[in-house]
Amino acid sequence: MNYILSITLWLPVAAAVILLFFPKTAASAIKGFGLLASLATFVASLGILNGFHEGVAGLQLTESLAWIPQWGIRYALGVDGISLWLILLTTLLTPVVFLSSWNTIHKHPKEYVIAFLIMEAAMIGVFVASDLLLFYVFFELTLLPMYLVIGVWGGANRIYAAIKFFLFTIAGSLLMLLGIIYLAFAHFHDTGVLTFTITELYGTTLAPHAQVLLFFAFALAFAIKVPLFPLHTWLPDAHVEAPTGGSIILAGVMLKMGTYGFLRFVLPFFPDATAKYAGLLIALAVIGIVYGALVAWVQPDMKKLVAYSSVSHLGFCVLGIFALNQTSIEGSILQMVNHGLSTGALFLCVGVIYERRHTRLLADYGGLAKTMPVFATFFIIAMLSSVGLPGLNGFIGEFLILAGSFQTWPRATIVAATGVILAAIYLLWLIQRVFFGPITKEENKNVREIAWNEVVALVPLVVLMVWIGVRPNVFLRKMTPSVQQLLQIVHKTDAGKAMIAGVGRRVSGVGDQNRPHEAMLRPPTPDPRLPLSGGVR
Amino acid sequence: MNWNDMIYILPEVILTIGASAMLLVPVTGGRGAKLSAKWMMIILLAITAGALIYCSHAVENIDQSRQLQAMFALDGFSIFFKLLFIGAIAMLVMLSEDFLAEGKYSPWEYYSLLGFALCGMMFMASGVHLITIYIGLELLSLSSYILAGFYKSELKSTEAAMKYFILGAVSSAILLYGISLIYGVCGSLNLLDIAAAMSTIVTNDALMFGIMLLGAGLCFKIAAVPFHVWTPDVYEGAPTPIAAFLSTGSKAAAFAIFARIFYTGLHDFHLEWNYVLATISALSMIIGNLAAITQDNVKRMLGYSSIAHAGYVLLGVISLNALGLRGILMYSVVYVFANLGIWATVLMLRRHQYAGERVDDFEGLSRRSPLWAFAMVIFLLSLGGIPPTAGFIGKYFLFAAAVQAGFGWLAVIAVLMSAVSMFYYLRLVVAMYLREGVEAEFAITTPLRIVAGICLVVTLALGIVPSSLIDQAVLSSSHVAAHAALTPHAGR
Amino acid sequence: MLEAVPTTEAYLMLSGTLFAIGLVGVIIRRNMITVLMAIELMMNAVNINLVAFSHRFASLEGQIFTIFIITVAAGEAAVGLAIIIQLYRLKSTINVDEARELNG
Repeated sequence: MNYILSITLWLPVAAAVILLFFPKTAASAIKGFGLLASLATFVASLGILNGFHEGVAGLQLTESLAWIPQWGIRYALGVDGISLWLILLTTLLTPVVFLSSWNTIHKHPKEYVIAFLIMEAAMIGVFVASDLLLFYVFFELTLLPMYLVIGVWGGANRIYAAIKFFLFTIAGSLLMLLGIIYLAFAHFHDTGVLTFTITELYGTTLAPHAQVLLFFAFALAFAIKVPLFPLHTWLPDAHVEAPTGGSIILAGVMLKMGTYGFLRFVLPFFPDATAKYAGLLIALAVIGIVYGALVAWVQPDMKKLVAYSSVSHLGFCVLGIFALNQTSIEGSILQMVNHGLSTGALFLCVGVIYERRHTRLLADYGGLAKTMPVFATFFIIAMLSSVGLPGLNGFIGEFLILAGSFQTWPRATIVAATGVILAAIYLLWLIQRVFFGPITKEENKNVREIAWNEVVALVPLVVLMVWIGVRPNVFLRKMTPSVQQLLQIVHKTDAGKAMIAGVGRRVSGVGDQNRPHEAMLRPPTPDPRLPLSGGVR
Repeated sequence: MNWNDMIYILPEVILTIGASAMLLVPVTGGRGAKLSAKWMMIILLAITAGALIYCSHAVENIDQSRQLQAMFALDGFSIFFKLLFIGAIAMLVMLSEDFLAEGKYSPWEYYSLLGFALCGMMFMASGVHLITIYIGLELLSLSSYILAGFYKSELKSTEAAMKYFILGAVSSAILLYGISLIYGVCGSLNLLDIAAAMSTIVTNDALMFGIMLLGAGLCFKIAAVPFHVWTPDVYEGAPTPIAAFLSTGSKAAAFAIFARIFYTGLHDFHLEWNYVLATISALSMIIGNLAAITQDNVKRMLGYSSIAHAGYVLLGVISLNALGLRGILMYSVVYVFANLGIWATVLMLRRHQYAGERVDDFEGLSRRSPLWAFAMVIFLLSLGGIPPTAGFIGKYFLFAAAVQAGFGWLAVIAVLMSAVSMFYYLRLVVAMYLREGVEAEFAITTPLRIVAGICLVVTLALGIVPSSLIDQAVLSSSHVAAHAALTPHAGR
Repeated sequence: MLEAVPTTEAYLMLSGTLFAIGLVGVIIRRNMITVLMAIELMMNAVNINLVAFSHRFASLEGQIFTIFIITVAAGEAAVGLAIIIQLYRLKSTINVDEARELNG
């Protein structure tokens, strides 16, 4: 049995526990240790990448231990093509946070580092848990550290923002808990086995009305997290008040927990309800895309602008997911990673200049390209990635999503495509006003150039933006089988049914991590409805 | 009855003798005064607990439903609750030290009253006969009235005692009237005989009225809406350790009789009462949680929160399945430990009689004492039902029971209200962590540390590895569950 | 004269009336002593019920319970009076409405 998932998951927790014994005043030692721990976690997550078998659809590197045997709740972990890149994104962004906040966090550094390490563990847990209740536990566990990060290290209105963030998320997730219980009972009713293992719960037959209710219970929790219009109102507040590190993690990873939840749970658990209500979700996603873009356009505050651009970009991810075809879903997963990289970098950059000038208003800037050329370069690359410039990662993700969803939802896709144009407008507008033109403000003449730690934090993000942009196939290849399997379940094809039946018979996760079921080993069959499948690679 | 039967009530007998002796100590003059009342009480509790464990082994093989003329059952259910009560009282003894150290009040009287209250609670847990249950309840109530007014020179405390007394006495009378009607229809006061009688009769107005009155009386004791008005006032006015007692031990005992009466005695009339109780439960959760939001006084806030928690526990009664019964047992444990932890933290802030009660008083606790601030967060999360704390496990049981029993709508209200409850629990977190506050004073004494430490460990341990408690709850509830002839269900 | 023994229903009506009077007394009277007496009235209504049923079933259970209730009621009255006296010492009134220290 390979314990790499557990190692990655618990490494930050162990580091946080060790940190408790550090004296409060040893700020550099604390930050250094936090950085080291997060880097070690990143290395461990590379071990996951290394152990990951391409071409296998189901969960790999699985671990399974009884946790609460009375209820069939297991400490079950696993990774597949859907979660792989999100785990790596998490472990990458955490050291980036520590690097970027090296010189900016003076208040309670120990608590800051511990909060981020615990948060990292919880986020990894969300992506690797293959037991529904374990997932739920991690899902909730991410809340408190983020609440404290916003509330303690945030801006002026931080308490309001922190509470709003917490309550929005918890209201949705508690309803999901009821859904989880109901689902497990329905499965128990069918089979006589009480289990929360995700793969075993796939294919649980539900009465139509129950399926619809459960669909909404789950979808609400994830829609708040994404956040989907009209549930997005907590996001701008949280972002504006959060410290830079909090914004990076919030936008970079936490929002993806929502989209990941749609893919992992909503689609395969409730295929009928998904088919029925996909239109609603797509409508909300498209509204979110356009609305987010329009609101971002008129924001005078840089951070708010980036926050609303997140609403818009995440709308694309949801559009891709509910378009329900191979191309769009792969694009959607890639776009989650892209958004994590580009928005993470954008928040980092906004943090950099905020740190120097203590203002985020666009009007206070102008001509920074002359005083901070290196910084301007990074900012512009991140911005172009966010806009979707060909050759950078954003283009691939958005193109796949739009190309895929055009097959099934052409009209919605056309409307959504305006979001791309709007993104170009508001982001270029941002760049124009901040970096170019004459220096109108005296304070902008002597702004300190970007520091070493910020460069080190930005470089890997930029490298990845280019890498994904140039060689997307490296990344897409690992997702393909898992997405195919997901679609088979959703479309209830024979292969999907066989998969469900096969998984149902399987003795849960003991020693089979490297013996995938035959159905998963089948060569990928191109979906006849998708002419573009594989075409863009 | 013969002397051998005494073994069933041996712990209660020991406790009664001990508590009476403690009452007499001050009268004996100089010699007794040198002893430490606190340690005498702890020793008495330890002996009681030891006797309880000894007796539970000694009576293992006897038909437990018909012990002591069918008045008193020493079964798993009662042992589970009695151990919980003894533990809770032991921690309350620790919490009370500060308050008694002011020297105005006799510790011997105080502890002996706590002892009598514990004795009443133990009788409640064991009662399978309405007389036993009533006597236990009254013993608890009379002791509580006095304890609530223990600050004799404080108007607030006396007023709290008065309100508690009047409403408590009225509710006892209502409960008794209900009992008398049930007796009139069923011809017996023994819960098993009542259940047997009920299985043979059809709905009958007098019986329904009796059940309603009995339920109303019980709802007063657990502070469910609309019988809740006394709670915040009494919690606010009573000495803080006594408020802690009322919201933990006393409440858990009321949960125990609620479960016993409805599961053992009235389960055949389930369809008649469950919707009424469901309404009460929903109202308790809604009104308790919404009213708590606006409270600035922590004691009042906890009072409203305890009203809401009564609503959650009622889910376990309403669902009338094995999961619900276990949920009541689990939740009582979880609730007692989380709440005692919170009260211990409140007491850390207490500098004079009523200080340390405002939400603002918590400001800056995270700086001054990071460990206890963190502990407080864990307790609050536990009350809110957020993993990985014990509260999540308890709520999971109750929600699952409600979902399984077809009370999905009630479960939805329960989770939404849990989210609302996080709003006011977070106010304390905000005060502790997010506001700097002026340099607040704290009196973190060793007994408070011990209590908060125990509660922290239990709350976290039960949240992370709940299996053993679940097994214990299953085992302890099996006897009661068997009498209620509960249907098989998901979840062992 | 045996046929003149009232039926159980008659006792029930009596006790119901007493209980109602007691309950109304608790609600409308503001004097603590009167309230205490009203509570005693409610308890006695219960006692009448229990004795009547006990007679009807020819079982002693109800009467035993009655004796317990009388005992407890005495204890309750003692505690209640003690609280009333304490309140009077602090406030010089035993009017329920004047107890306004707690914002409830």
